[in-house]
Amino acid sequence: MSDAAPLWATVILPVALAVAAVVTAGFDAVLSGAAERGPAGSVREAGLRAMAPLREALRLLVQQPRRTTAADRLLGRLGMVLVPVAAVLAGAVLPWGFRSVSDPSVGIVWFNAMEALAWAAVWLAGWGPNSALSLIGGYRFLAQGLAYELPHMFAITTAALGAESLRVGDLVAAQGGLWFVVWMPAAFVVYLLSALAMAFWGPFAYPLAQDAAGGAAVELAGVDRLVFLGGRWMLLVVTAGFSVPLFLGGGHGPLLPGWAWTLLKTAAVLALLVAGRRLLPVLRMERYMELAWMVLVPLTLLQALVVAVVVLNR
Amino acid sequence: MDLRNLLRRTAMQRPAVLAVALPGATDIRLAVEAEVRRRGWPVAGAPAAADLMVVCGVPEPREAEWLDDIERSMPDPAVRIVVEETGHAVHALEMARRDLTERAVTPREAEVDDQQGAAAGEPGGRAQGEHQGHGDDQGHGAHHGSSPPPAPDDQGHPHRSMGHGHGGPAAHPGHEGHENHHPDDHAAHLDHTEHEGHFAHIDHMGHDMHAMGDVAGLPMAERADDRDELRLDQLHVPIGPGLTDWPTGLVLRLTLQGDVVQDVEVDHLPVPRGHRLPFWDEPWLRAAQGEEVTSGSAARRRCAAHLDSVARLLAVVGWDDVAARCRRLRDELLSGAPREGIGGDLRGVLRRVRRSRTLRWSIAGLGELSSARAGEAGVTGPALTADGDAYDRLRIWLDEVERGLEVLDAEQPLTPDDLTGPRGRLDGAQPPSQALLDILPELLTGAEFACARIIVASLDPDLDELALAPVSGAAHV
Repeated sequence: MSDAAPLWATVILPVALAVAAVVTAGFDAVLSGAAERGPAGSVREAGLRAMAPLREALRLLVQQPRRTTAADRLLGRLGMVLVPVAAVLAGAVLPWGFRSVSDPSVGIVWFNAMEALAWAAVWLAGWGPNSALSLIGGYRFLAQGLAYELPHMFAITTAALGAESLRVGDLVAAQGGLWFVVWMPAAFVVYLLSALAMAFWGPFAYPLAQDAAGGAAVELAGVDRLVFLGGRWMLLVVTAGFSVPLFLGGGHGPLLPGWAWTLLKTAAVLALLVAGRRLLPVLRMERYMELAWMVLVPLTLLQALVVAVVVLNR
Repeated sequence: MDLRNLLRRTAMQRPAVLAVALPGATDIRLAVEAEVRRRGWPVAGAPAAADLMVVCGVPEPREAEWLDDIERSMPDPAVRIVVEETGHAVHALEMARRDLTERAVTPREAEVDDQQGAAAGEPGGRAQGEHQGHGDDQGHGAHHGSSPPPAPDDQGHPHRSMGHGHGGPAAHPGHEGHENHHPDDHAAHLDHTEHEGHFAHIDHMGHDMHAMGDVAGLPMAERADDRDELRLDQLHVPIGPGLTDWPTGLVLRLTLQGDVVQDVEVDHLPVPRGHRLPFWDEPWLRAAQGEEVTSGSAARRRCAAHLDSVARLLAVVGWDDVAARCRRLRDELLSGAPREGIGGDLRGVLRRVRRSRTLRWSIAGLGELSSARAGEAGVTGPALTADGDAYDRLRIWLDEVERGLEVLDAEQPLTPDDLTGPRGRLDGAQPPSQALLDILPELLTGAEFACARIIVASLDPDLDELALAPVSGAAHV
């Protein structure tokens, strides 16, 4: 249903993702600043605080990278680079309004596969430096993957079921009347949780948790750190953005053009995730695992069942 | 100035800070934390992420080695400063910032001279730029196993006056190469004898595996029976004073299998004795010595101490937002903010922590310590009252903060008999934190790594107190 975007969109995509990541991180920095130093006194002050991610990026660029003894540099580097790469590749099937860089017939599977790259990425980044804490961080992501991935897959399968297609464009088209979020609320909530988990961020920052001094990222400095952590913000943007075609009707909406609706909806989801992070501590995966298997898996299965019955009776 | 240099300077305007506190320097740590926050500088959780290492307190000569090691695992440009008194924090950080911006634009060859110039210009040598001692093409640990590059000329460096020759890479090849040039270390570890300075590798623990085989110059893991009598790899991992949100000066030598703690040895950095009272216990000890102390100021100190503990626990648990709020309120309390000004905010934070079911779900059941067992072990204070797990101890802290808030501005003097500090009775046979340290091994054994850190944070022993024994106030009772 959706048209293919022009070739230059391929070039724009990584840039747009990076800009969105910086803006999101800036919003997060303003909220963190309020917690650390009280609310910003003036707009200028708030603006300065919002600049923090850019300053941080610059700082990391100036820092020299470092090496650890007997590091597996090839795999470690691969892990770091894979994070933003996975984000950009996943972004390729993300429709801007009704156009995406590519709209293959298995777009949803592609998206999920790219997310799974993040598993490898964090594991490799944790493995690379030959350090106990980063290794702990790395394998924590595997535990996290086990906890979130199954409910997550059921959630996106439910959306695909509703549209009777794995093509992202068809999903958006199917929500011309009613957004999926209305009759798939459980799947939507589970998807949002796993969006956080995929970006190993906020309550799901367990692989990078402070109790392991920063986990998988503990030995990263300079550009390495920038690529890894910057990539994480991009992953967050992409996964949040994908909830729009999945559940929130994509570019559909009155008055405004499709791309504007996509942008607005994505921004709203991101704001929700960023603000919501403040409500929750990091979840320890051995505890979350219980919730995932005892509650979320049955819940998403039930949701899928309801949707399947509706679709069969259509 | 060309654009490149401008960017480099701008980048170092707000360096990431790794604060390493030494025992007896709680007030300095608080001053540094407050100043760093006021400046809006990022706080690094690990040496790799930091530009600036701030040592709070006066390091003893034998502590120099692990400090050097932490510094070596920082990426260039890296600066280390020592803040020896609370009043010097502002100036020291400012000097360090200047030093870093200079360092960022100075070509490496000229760095040593420039460094000396900068250091010489500093009054009293409070803010000392420390030379990294390796070219950037080498990277950390890169010269391990090969002949080290010529050491840069460190002559005249103020750091020398502190009594440990900082010999550059010639003395300490690559930051992770140190296992190799201390063959005795292995023996020392295996029979658990004390060995100064081997917690040097604290922040890159993976390299502290001690066994027969060597891979790439690093010893391999040992094997030992686990709880189920399976023969599994065993790692000896010291964790300690370089960690953030960790009791100042505490060193734990963990034996890990997977990430389960099999054995714990509790150790700590030397605690300077005598020259000042432990910061958190000060009001009660002063009252015991016959000084006039208002009960309001004691309540203030207790609230601040508990907020500090709560902030650390929440930071370890990963709830940064509330941890940051607790730290801000702690500093406001210490700077004498009136009750009306701070009460609303503080109650809001307390309510938020109490209401969080996720937090409860996350840490309930960790480090179960019954009142009976605590009493036997000589534990007093919140850990005894709590009669339960990490979450119960947190709740006691919150309750005490709330209660303290009521009497924050009370003017009546503290009675000399009141000797219950934030961590327990100061007139017992041993300082309250000693009992907390003694109970650690039994609480930690069998816990997972993450849980172990949460348990330690939920007890939050204050090593400054160790200098107390025997309590001076006991005579008054």
